[in-house]
Amino acid sequence: MNFSLKLFGRLSWLLGITLFLSCGSENGTSPSQTPGSEAILQSDSLQLDNPITKQLWNKIDSALNTSHHVMLLQPCNPDQMEAQTIALQHPEFMANGSDSLSPKPLRREIFNVYQARPQEIPQAFQQGKVYKVELYNYALNLTQTALVDLVSKQVIQVNTLKGSQPDIPLYLKDVAIQLAIHHPDVIKALGFQPGQEDALMANTKTALNHTKCERSMHLCVAPTFTKGDKALWAIVDLTDLRLVGIRWTNTGPEQPTRAVTEKRLKFEKISECYCKQMTHVQKGDWDFNYIITTSDGLRISEVKYKGETVINSAKVVDWHVSYSNTEGFGYSDAVGCPEFSQAAVVAVTEPRISSIEENNQTIGFALEQNFSSEQWPLPCNYNYLQRYEFYTDGRFRSAAASLGRGCGNNGTYRPVMRFSFPNTDYSFHEWNGNAWDVWKKEQWKLLTPQSPNYSNQYQYLLQSKSQKGLYIESGKGQFHDGGRGDNPYVYITKMHPDLDEGENDLVTIGPCCNTDYQQGPEKFINDEEIENGSLVLWYVCQMKNDDTPGKEYCWSASYLEHGVYKTRVYPCLAGPMFIPKKP
Amino acid sequence: MNLSLKMFIALLCVFSLCSSCKEKMTEDEILTIGIAPCRKPAAFIQTLGFDPNRSAYSTETDRYKGVILIQAPATETDTIRKYQHPSWSKFGYMASITTDDLGNAYTFPVPFINTENQTIQTLNSIFKIDHSSGEMTLFTTLPKTDSVKDMVAYGLLGVYFDCHAKKIYVSSVNGSTRDKENGSLFVLDQSTGKVLDRLDGVDAMGLCVGGVTGEKKLYFGKARTPEVYTVELDKEGMFDGKPEFAISLDQLGPRGDDKARRIRFNTKSELVIHGIEFNFNLAGQSIKPETKYAFGYNREEKKWLLMSTE
Repeated sequence: MNFSLKLFGRLSWLLGITLFLSCGSENGTSPSQTPGSEAILQSDSLQLDNPITKQLWNKIDSALNTSHHVMLLQPCNPDQMEAQTIALQHPEFMANGSDSLSPKPLRREIFNVYQARPQEIPQAFQQGKVYKVELYNYALNLTQTALVDLVSKQVIQVNTLKGSQPDIPLYLKDVAIQLAIHHPDVIKALGFQPGQEDALMANTKTALNHTKCERSMHLCVAPTFTKGDKALWAIVDLTDLRLVGIRWTNTGPEQPTRAVTEKRLKFEKISECYCKQMTHVQKGDWDFNYIITTSDGLRISEVKYKGETVINSAKVVDWHVSYSNTEGFGYSDAVGCPEFSQAAVVAVTEPRISSIEENNQTIGFALEQNFSSEQWPLPCNYNYLQRYEFYTDGRFRSAAASLGRGCGNNGTYRPVMRFSFPNTDYSFHEWNGNAWDVWKKEQWKLLTPQSPNYSNQYQYLLQSKSQKGLYIESGKGQFHDGGRGDNPYVYITKMHPDLDEGENDLVTIGPCCNTDYQQGPEKFINDEEIENGSLVLWYVCQMKNDDTPGKEYCWSASYLEHGVYKTRVYPCLAGPMFIPKKP
Repeated sequence: MNLSLKMFIALLCVFSLCSSCKEKMTEDEILTIGIAPCRKPAAFIQTLGFDPNRSAYSTETDRYKGVILIQAPATETDTIRKYQHPSWSKFGYMASITTDDLGNAYTFPVPFINTENQTIQTLNSIFKIDHSSGEMTLFTTLPKTDSVKDMVAYGLLGVYFDCHAKKIYVSSVNGSTRDKENGSLFVLDQSTGKVLDRLDGVDAMGLCVGGVTGEKKLYFGKARTPEVYTVELDKEGMFDGKPEFAISLDQLGPRGDDKARRIRFNTKSELVIHGIEFNFNLAGQSIKPETKYAFGYNREEKKWLLMSTE
């Protein structure tokens, strides 16, 4: 395990112990009841161990270790065997077989070998005995076909079809059905353990519905189970050998004209459950609502600790990323809902709640949400993480991370965080090394590692007239999550609920590439008096990415596992901790 | 018979008379709609020293904001030439372009990655590049909804000049929300930009007018679903019917969910649909995949059949 992953390992989303919220689950409650909201999504990293997948992974690994690295069609007759053997000798047919940067083989499999149809055979070979061999490349999601003449024992034509998937062999159909019928979510949804014979659409007489995994570009099929006038689609990913999710549809005259696919499943679920409505969380002494916004990421609101509201709302308004080698080159990304939004990078997984452990003790919990470009981790695609931490002692932290990969190794990420507070008599204090100075008017400041800290921890204090409040501790690498420091611009502005200054969703408030304080919040600084008032804190962290081996930061990299690409992430978490101050 | 009933019958007669007065189109005339060429290159292109036959407008966002004119190389050793009039980058990133029979070009702004370069003011506006001067100016602003909660970030999504009736067709999704399809199709006068007709309740992207099926129809790609619909037009190009389903792109191509960004007829009378992913968000991709679907019309079965995908 690499350095970053070790540090980040305590974040549960990599360890697969997350709890998946659904509309109305025990961790979060919301009232939605539509087919989309009733769908169940599985984590992208969740793979259930079972004998079927274990056996197949072994078979796949064995094939990768053969001289041609290809899993052959089996069983097959002598002609089919000869056709695939001849095809495997052909350089063009065997192209695209290894990673472009390493000699490691990609997972490929011959799905079908059959006598070519007359119209497929070139005129010169009409008298021959021509077979068509279909090879699927799981890693690159492409199909290569070869026409093989068994009389002259030569390959007469090779075609490469990008983004194309041949019909799957019979054994893979069985694998898909087995993965579906043994999955707890399928069993729970149907109310019984289905048998292989139950995966049959009465109207089509086929066990598998066609579907697509448009985002992952994996090979997917959908075993479908009918129950009364409904059909349960179970989308199975045959590249990762896992269930992607399930969704009910109506059958009969009301059956959908469009197939249930990975993207539809994800978009509908997230939109219905997390974009259209708030989810309420009550956990320990904490109580709050959250929603995925159209452009301000995951917003939490009405945050109460032991019944007292401590935060009105917290969110990430923008992500600014600039690249230092080209002036003015970068992007200003809004993150949010996957459709009907102003988001450039969208939510495609559900929010997750996980516990925070220290010395084998649970000391709080975290709410996390990822936003991802469709082609991430390819260059110039992005993945952002928002993480809210709620501690049993009343501390609260809002953090954000880039998981790369962006357009280069010289990028600086600047998430624009916004916090509003319920108190109407707050004053903002800065520790000057000896005492707390009160900020009289709206202003901004760049916090540096040299800035003095009160009690070696806190730089700022939000305090009410009753002397209660919140200390603010910026990230300096002390939070044991791999973060290397926030280097933040801090802004305090007066709350104006009547103006469009961020209580509702904000459109992009700043350009990509300003390297100074002009990240957007300065637009709301008007020299207004802020003592004993309702305040808004803006906090813009600055994280410089790094792709140096062993020091990766705000980065991601692909690697091969079982011959298909996986992603290793090197997050750069940053964000302030709020610590309750007693009178 | 009471008075109101008499008036109703009288009005009905007037309408049927008007309808029968509509000028008919011949079968041959209809079949050439969408295929017969009429578009001219703009006169200013030649004054720049560009070859009009090798030049085309582009709104690619990689390096330029707005519109650029690109001249393709004549030979392998030749280089690509590019030109941008100062007015072409003034209104932010622009979307698709259509040209008319005089050489004027029409386009409209769209948000790109974010809404930073697009103002509400130009959300539903069409800009015209004058065939003679090359200057881009406001052509017309269509009626727009200024602020609706949860309104989509887009305004216009399609523009098309019909050579047959010399009308400009525009699709707008302004005012639409996740739950309500509130977009409109507009028919505009070529010289004034005045709205001559409109069809509401439709969120559409790519547009094209054609007569291959034997009826003059506006083809429009639905922005919410991977489908192409049609609505019949009269000779003058006004709407003369209700939208009807024509083609589904569901499960076709590598993504299986493409929306028809651009629709055109080729010289083989095939309907060529350029499909892209579109989800009413501002998600950008480093590689913008687009698939071309060619459909042929089977007159006996009155169905469009997929001929090729590339």
